[in-house]
Amino acid sequence: MELGRKIAQALEAATFERVAGVGLANAEANRSRIARSVLELAETPLGSGDAAIVVGAGPSLYRRRSLERLRASRFAGTIVAADGALGACLRAGVAPHVVVSVDPHPERIVRWFGDPTLTAPRGDDYFRRQEMDPTHHGDELAVNRALVELVDAHGPKLKVAAATSAAPAVVERCEQAGMDLYWWNPMYDDYDAPGSLSRRLWEMNGLPCLNGGGNVGTAAWVLTNAVLGKRRIGLIGIDLGYAPGTPYEKTQYYPELVDLLGDRFREAFIHTENPATGETWFSDPAYHWFRNVFLEMARGAECQTVNCTEGGLLFGDGITTATLDHFLEATAGGGARG
Amino acid sequence: MPEFLKGNYKVKATIEDKADAADSTDEFEKKALSRLGGSICFVSRKSLMWRGDGQPPASRATRENGDDDKAKADGAGTKDRAGA
Repeated sequence: MELGRKIAQALEAATFERVAGVGLANAEANRSRIARSVLELAETPLGSGDAAIVVGAGPSLYRRRSLERLRASRFAGTIVAADGALGACLRAGVAPHVVVSVDPHPERIVRWFGDPTLTAPRGDDYFRRQEMDPTHHGDELAVNRALVELVDAHGPKLKVAAATSAAPAVVERCEQAGMDLYWWNPMYDDYDAPGSLSRRLWEMNGLPCLNGGGNVGTAAWVLTNAVLGKRRIGLIGIDLGYAPGTPYEKTQYYPELVDLLGDRFREAFIHTENPATGETWFSDPAYHWFRNVFLEMARGAECQTVNCTEGGLLFGDGITTATLDHFLEATAGGGARG
Repeated sequence: MPEFLKGNYKVKATIEDKADAADSTDEFEKKALSRLGGSICFVSRKSLMWRGDGQPPASRATRENGDDDKAKADGAGTKDRAGA
């Protein structure tokens, strides 16, 4: 078996190791700020009908100008965005109904909302290196300042579906920008198992647990289906892979793969042809795992999931592929009334 | 090194404690792998959402702003955005 696929098999347990401790600590730190359950979002007027668009932060957003096309379509359904895509959405004139935030990282994630405390570039090169939002590659202070202003301007109209694992800095930023927060617990483990952390969290705060699927984009899709009850869900920017020509150094887990594998780090990447576009995209073990998880969840979900990214690596049983224009036409007006 | 392996003489060869070495390698791999993991867990063979069983022993913080559901959704979406 290829090295990348072999590593991917270990990532369900590895993710627990990575996020459970800090996620629980953040749940405790956020406890006094929890006022609403995410279930209240289902009773809140969002977009019309049973159709929704879930926006991830993958490179196809820029390659396919997906947000500009969505904006031009005047789509009337519900728009749910991963936090990493918020800046791109607002810059394109698309205000999502719901923004989803999950990652417990203490410093990075707040940057997706504009970090008012950032006065000098940080030692962490994540935003200069990441492949998702190229606007951060240049003058990151200027980009951050512009994002702060944009989020401040739109904040009072935005709702955030915040996982209790979210970093307190993110929560503070959202509140400061006037966003309404709706809370949920990440599902950490089998809630029927003895000593379950998921059950412990539910007993602590009474919030529902969502099976997150490894990343915030998948969690946004889970929320759109399981919480908002949308039955036709189009995906944009959820590529779960790297576009052709992306340097390995610009991939999400490059430093970690070099630390783990040394000179063999290239063996961890998996190249796959997208049958719809004929392009060869590639994944690392994490994206490969995300993809497998998404397909497993989509096969059992009570909704039609339409991949409108026009690229990426998310295809297989449980996923329909269509152009964004086709999906928008088919769901004009938001689809059937839900 | 386990107590029963100690002798009353010295050997020239260096003896590695393979069990400790294996533990250390496993620990390194575990830590290294955890850096490759995702930002949220996935629990296989479970539903997308679990609402809990009945009433939780401790409920979430009392809704201090319970009536402030301001239905701010009017401004969201692709319509009537700045720059239209």
